[in-house]
Amino acid sequence: MVSKAIIRKDIIDITRSKTLLTTLIVIPIVFSVFFPLLIMGSALLFDIEKVTGSDLNMMLDKFVSVMDSSVAAYSVEQQIVYIFINYLLPTFFLLVPIITAMTVAANSFVGEKERRTLESLLLSPISIKDLYLSKIIASIIPPLFVSIISFVISGVIINALGYPIFSTLIFPSTNWIVLICCLSPMIILLVVLVNILISSKVKTYQEAQNIAGVVVLPIVALIIGQISGLFLLGVELILILSGVLLVINFVILYRISKFNDRPDLFEKQIH
Amino acid sequence: MEANFIHVNNLYKSFDQQAVLQNVNFHVKKGEIIGLIGPNGAGKTTFIRILNGVIKSDKGTIQINGLDPLKDGDDIRKMSGIVTESAGLYHQMSGEENLHFFSELYGVKNKNRVIELLLLFDLIDHKDKKVGKYSTGMKKRLALAKALLHKPEILFLDEPTNGLDPDGIKLVLSYLKKYNEETGTTMIICSHVLHQLENVCQSFAFIDHGTIVEQGALASLEEKYIDVLKVEIETTLKPSTPEYLGYKYSSVGNKLIFDLPSKQVISILLNEILKTNEVFSVTTLNTDLESIYFKVRGAHNGK
Repeated sequence: MVSKAIIRKDIIDITRSKTLLTTLIVIPIVFSVFFPLLIMGSALLFDIEKVTGSDLNMMLDKFVSVMDSSVAAYSVEQQIVYIFINYLLPTFFLLVPIITAMTVAANSFVGEKERRTLESLLLSPISIKDLYLSKIIASIIPPLFVSIISFVISGVIINALGYPIFSTLIFPSTNWIVLICCLSPMIILLVVLVNILISSKVKTYQEAQNIAGVVVLPIVALIIGQISGLFLLGVELILILSGVLLVINFVILYRISKFNDRPDLFEKQIH
Repeated sequence: MEANFIHVNNLYKSFDQQAVLQNVNFHVKKGEIIGLIGPNGAGKTTFIRILNGVIKSDKGTIQINGLDPLKDGDDIRKMSGIVTESAGLYHQMSGEENLHFFSELYGVKNKNRVIELLLLFDLIDHKDKKVGKYSTGMKKRLALAKALLHKPEILFLDEPTNGLDPDGIKLVLSYLKKYNEETGTTMIICSHVLHQLENVCQSFAFIDHGTIVEQGALASLEEKYIDVLKVEIETTLKPSTPEYLGYKYSSVGNKLIFDLPSKQVISILLNEILKTNEVFSVTTLNTDLESIYFKVRGAHNGK
């Protein structure tokens, strides 16, 4: 049984920590407000067709040839905005759940160690498995919440500014729906699981961040580097990637559910 | 005779090849308040942690109410309350929020328990204040309230009076004693402030260099370790010889300090003095816990 008390306490903890809260607010604003505003605003204010040269037009044609036939009928300006919104923005957008999940999960155990409260938890009658699972859930909720809010805000901005260009609502596409419903939660879970494991093994937040930077970021970069391509190739591949992540997450979760070494966790504290 | 509630036999623990506990044997009866005393670094905290199953011992057996801390740790932790040296409270939450959180963790059903304890430990006016803003004494009192939330059968108190002012020390110690009398809770109190424990604990275990060198009630320890009893008598008597009734003495102002072989001699001595002089006060000087502590340490370090 997970401990609701620990989940609630951890969430309170996150909302009362200035650093964590700043990350949870600033990152979504940058990637889900600033970026869409920039591209949609540029499209509205400048004549993009004039700015683009023939090379870009050739590249656009190649892109468009693998897309839905309706895209080919768009003007160059519409095509650029469409490609940005549906193929480039998702890559940046995924940074929202990734960065917020990393920040929150890395703090999970290490925050308790640094403040010498992990001792109180380990001296209470909570099993190690329940402690891990409660901490995982508490670390998943904020990034999940933030990414959904970001998705909605992006959507409002894109549709509000995109309507004069397209005369229709262009957001969300099926790709975006699959991204927010399947891929984003799976990436959040993966980042949280790996960071929680690191957080439980090291003694300081600095250490947790450093290891996460070396171990987690390259894997994450590899995944998000392929997102534009995946989006181009279609919903099926995004679903397959989400499925693969689901299996990986399941394996890690299963291993965590077998954790039972309280002294091991206890001894990895600052004394 | 009551059976032992806590049994520890031949316990060993080392960290990185440095021995912290060696051949520890320790027994506590149910309902007893025992003082675990020894210098800093003697192994008291490690020992408490092993008893709670958060550190593995290298060798030895432990039974707490028939349970093994490593195998049945959660059952032991359910019936134990603990005050650690660092208090282990959440500074970003208020006093009341902390107690509510730990109530849930320990499965406390009684909703009024938190308020009861806040009132008891004089924290009700500060219940909404963040614990980070509490004074050291307030944190200690809150930690004690936290340890008592689930009405534990055993209380482990690691330096419970550290950082408290004299009023706080009095409040905490007298409450612990009263609580023990009312509920029969077994208590293990670690401390190196000996005079505080003297009137609270029923027996003492002396830990030194990772070993419990002696354990017992104050009276039996006194009998074993005090061979010369120093008794200070405030009297009008001014003996003219270096010995009085064959007992050596020294004089400080109107007080005579006698070296006596046993307690029984005190009344004989007083009877004799009272025949011709007045007596205003009689105090035994070296039967307090501190004197016995140094005697025990001296005896074992000299071995």
